[in-house]
Amino acid sequence: MAQITLKNLGKMFPPDVVAVADVNLTIGDGEFFVLLGPSGCGKSTTLRMIAGLEEATSGDILVDGRRVNDDDPADRDLAIVFQNYALYPHMTVAENLAFGLKLRKVAPTEITSRTAATSRMLGIEPLLKRKPRELSGGQQQRVALGRALVRQPKAFLFDEPLSNLDAKLRATMRTELIKLHQSLGATIVHVTHDQVEAMTMGQRICIMKDGHVVQVGPPMEVYRNPADTFVAGFLASPPMNLLDARVVDHAGGLAVALGEARLAVPGAFNGAYGAWRDRDVVFGIRPEDMHDGAGPGGRTPLDVRVVAVEALGPEVVLVAALADGREIHARLGPGFVAPIGSQQRLHLDLGAMHLFDRETRKAIAQRGTG
Amino acid sequence: MKRLLIGVLALVAMMGVARAETLRILMETVPDTEQVKSLLSEFKAATGYDVEIEAISYIDMHTKLVPQLIAPTGAYDIIIVDFYWVAEFTKAGWLLPLDEFAQRDGVDLGRYVPKVMATTGQVDGVTYMLPFYNYVMGLVYRKDLLEDPAEQAAFKEKYGIELGVPKTWDEFKKQMEFFTRDTDGDGQNDFFGTVTQAQRGDCIMMQSSNFLYGNGGRYYDENWNPLLNTPEAVQGLADFADATLKYSAPGSEGFCFDEATAVMTQGKAYSIITFNNLYATINNPETSAAGGKVGITGVPGGGLMGSWGWGIPKSSPNKDGAWAFINWVESFDIAKRRAIMGNAMTQTALFTDVDVVAARPEAPSLEPLVAEANAFPVFTYTVEFVEAVGREFNLAASGQKDPKEAAEAAQEAFADLLRKDGLIE
Amino acid sequence: MAAGALARRDQRFGLLLTAPGLAALLLVVLFPLGFAVFTSLFDYTLVHPNHDTFVGFDKYVEAWNADYLPDALWTTVKFVVASVVIEFVIGFSVALALNRVTRFKNVYYIILLAPLLMNPVVVAQLWRMILHSELGIMNYVLGMIGIGKINFLGDPVAAFWTVVLVDIWHQVSFMAILLLAGLAALPREPYEAARMDGASAVQTFVHITLPLMRPVIAVALLLRLIFAIKTFDIVFIMTKGGPGTATDLISYFIYRSAFFGLDVGRASAMSVALLLIVLALTIYLYRYMKSLA
Ligand SMILES: Nc1ncnc2c1ncn2[C@@H]1O[C@H](COP(=O)(O)OP(=O)(O)O)[C@@H](O)[C@H]1O
Ligand SMILES: [Mg+2]
Repeated sequence: MAQITLKNLGKMFPPDVVAVADVNLTIGDGEFFVLLGPSGCGKSTTLRMIAGLEEATSGDILVDGRRVNDDDPADRDLAIVFQNYALYPHMTVAENLAFGLKLRKVAPTEITSRTAATSRMLGIEPLLKRKPRELSGGQQQRVALGRALVRQPKAFLFDEPLSNLDAKLRATMRTELIKLHQSLGATIVHVTHDQVEAMTMGQRICIMKDGHVVQVGPPMEVYRNPADTFVAGFLASPPMNLLDARVVDHAGGLAVALGEARLAVPGAFNGAYGAWRDRDVVFGIRPEDMHDGAGPGGRTPLDVRVVAVEALGPEVVLVAALADGREIHARLGPGFVAPIGSQQRLHLDLGAMHLFDRETRKAIAQRGTG
Repeated sequence: MKRLLIGVLALVAMMGVARAETLRILMETVPDTEQVKSLLSEFKAATGYDVEIEAISYIDMHTKLVPQLIAPTGAYDIIIVDFYWVAEFTKAGWLLPLDEFAQRDGVDLGRYVPKVMATTGQVDGVTYMLPFYNYVMGLVYRKDLLEDPAEQAAFKEKYGIELGVPKTWDEFKKQMEFFTRDTDGDGQNDFFGTVTQAQRGDCIMMQSSNFLYGNGGRYYDENWNPLLNTPEAVQGLADFADATLKYSAPGSEGFCFDEATAVMTQGKAYSIITFNNLYATINNPETSAAGGKVGITGVPGGGLMGSWGWGIPKSSPNKDGAWAFINWVESFDIAKRRAIMGNAMTQTALFTDVDVVAARPEAPSLEPLVAEANAFPVFTYTVEFVEAVGREFNLAASGQKDPKEAAEAAQEAFADLLRKDGLIE
Repeated sequence: MAAGALARRDQRFGLLLTAPGLAALLLVVLFPLGFAVFTSLFDYTLVHPNHDTFVGFDKYVEAWNADYLPDALWTTVKFVVASVVIEFVIGFSVALALNRVTRFKNVYYIILLAPLLMNPVVVAQLWRMILHSELGIMNYVLGMIGIGKINFLGDPVAAFWTVVLVDIWHQVSFMAILLLAGLAALPREPYEAARMDGASAVQTFVHITLPLMRPVIAVALLLRLIFAIKTFDIVFIMTKGGPGTATDLISYFIYRSAFFGLDVGRASAMSVALLLIVLALTIYLYRYMKSLA
């Protein structure tokens, strides 16, 4: 297994498309690492540079400390699973699995045993004699995975392998990949644009935007402390509510001015936010930090008008409008009902609030130092 | 509805009239066609007919003509007929006899050189065509070399006879050998005694005929018995093979007349047996390195007869107009003006006409050429004959078959075709 | 049951929709074919162009016994194999090279297409001039670089290869373009997978490109094969089948039967026979290719 390090990695496609800019990452040995970001942010390009399918235009790629920039893909001993599987259409499943081993001059008996083991593990034994076009999407995905596994590479590179599957299958495969990772203990770099995948699968996730790394960390940490409005707005569904606001003096302390409403900032944050007095900020609060009841206390009320009530079963998503018309989302308990257009009072848990610099969009640390 | 019908009818009628005013001719893209074109406005002035000439290359003509000839009403009022096709066309009954027209308008058919008239004029006493131009083959030679005293002395030294315009076949053979040489000493000949055109098909047949006649051979006797395996014929073919392989430019096995002529006009050969109407091109200093240095004479033993005739197909939409045109274009005045422009004449009087001779000093020497020419076998299967015999001759000329063997095979092929045509048992 | 009826109705409707096209096809393709078969059973000549004399299979026997037919057949086989194989090798190499090119692609396409767009008669005439043994530039150049002159159209062996090479010059771009289109349409992913699997350029070609290209290759070979069997103009203009019978291809042989021999019946018999041979060949090759895929 292997550790992968990216140093100042960059990729420019002629004439002037900067796909990846100055990426610095270290992916630990045996880590399940997720590259997350919207389409076009440079995830695949980063992955393909690691694989050796694209040449880096700047920076270094190290595998176990050795610079591999100039190595052939084959010599890096990494395996990639492509988004569209890229199976060899003219070969049977068995041949697809064995092809890479044959090229590497693995002994035939070894090929047979490894192919058998891999296909047993993935449950594709009955498919071995079929051609890819005779397989369903899910089966093809397994074969693609098998082709990577059977090689026993130093690390696996997954480029959105689940995105072509239907929702149910995707959920199953998520679990299977996690189990697989646990049993193999392999280094995995997994690219996805799906934040649920990232949150559930990654030991650490790296969020990218426009070719840059925005934030790296364990899923819950990133979730709790998004580095900027982009990350805040990207993770979870519905994502964090982000509202333009100002920090103002209020009753001896500070408050967030949201139109006419004044939300008193918990005293603990006063020190950190003091410097932002009378300045433009973005106020952020997650939908689950807003409630329909006053609760045990310490919650701050906010009056809204009901725009829509989306009952999802285990929870209800309330779409509501502030006095000035800006919409927010709140996740409420399954029992919540309210007529459309009615006034409703929400109770905000401001201990979980976030403030961002309106200009740089970066998070303003709640407790002093950053 | 009725008015529409009348309108359409009127339109059709008008089109009919318009068609009647235009005569269409299918011709070959050669200088003689251009000469005719240049005079058409005068015909229009004299008769009111427009003439539309469709000129295409030789290889497409036969294919294009046949469907029009088979049709009850064809596209062409007038056609020109190569002597090759005469038997085929007359036997199939596609040509209109012209004797009545000629008599009515007092055309003297005796004005034509008899051999030309026999080739593309009359068949079995019926006049189907008026001869348009001839392409009898003659011997074009380098006058300057014949007149060179050093050459003369060397020739006399080697062969014991004088060097001069060849009068006998044997003399010509000696000259072919004599003039073939390696001028730059690289071991390969680069100046040639003659140029042959031995490409399979009609190229070889046209030229090798002269070698047959030169040896006193003939294709057939008066009863159509084939004579291709006679000693004279075998010798003729052997001579042709020799000329091709020894005395002519390498590659002559694949030459047709254009490639062969090119060797001559590059000044790389002493002689060429070719169509007399190419003489002007070879003798033109602007286009030929041999320009001004060549003369033309009859092939010893008589060259190959070749000519074209004007004919009216039975499918002609306007036969009277067609005759009016032929009568005009072949009238002495027009024929003379075409002759002055370079037409290969068919009327005896033109060869010695003062104006023609003034424009073309070689004209008188062309008359015996035409008068002494020998006819090619013309029968229903002439084209296939050319194909089959041409293949055998080409095998001999390219050294792949012994001339005697090839001659025997040619004889057999010829006999088969004559039998198929009912000319012999 | 209902589904079956529906399917049947769909089928009938489909047939109805395609009927005019099918009818046109039958008329355009089968009528001339039928006419040729019909004519081949009669003594139909251009001198007597009618179907009065039924002769059964006489014309086929006559055709089979025609002088030099075996030579023409053998020459045709050699010609077809030589030109198609060489065209395939060159065409594939060119296609592979061009497939990598990204800049000036159109320029290459135009250069490639130029010979293809030329009339075969013009091509043949052009080459006849270039290959003139004494005066052509080819021998001039060969002489200059010390190879010596080649008797391109006069020597039987040289003439055969000359005709083959001129045909290749004229037709190779057809092969190249067809194969190039095939290559351009190949999926990119298997190549990346193969790179990851550690395949060398040669291994990639053998294990990925060739198998994936098989249908395109089959079509290209088949089309060229059929066209090659029908080659006519080059021989007609350049050699008339000579020297001797060195370049006498079957199409020209048949043409001569019809237009020189005036025997349409015999020419039809030959055409029909040739058609059957080509058809059999096509079916065989098609099956073979399919069995490989
Ligand atoms: N081969 C290429 N040529 C030019 N631009 C490319 C190429 N591949 C990717 N890009 C560009 O680079 C950027 C990043 O692409 P990619 O890495 O595929 O994004 P992601 O996988 O995150 O969706 C995009 O703007 C894309 O258009
Ligand atoms: Mg991607």
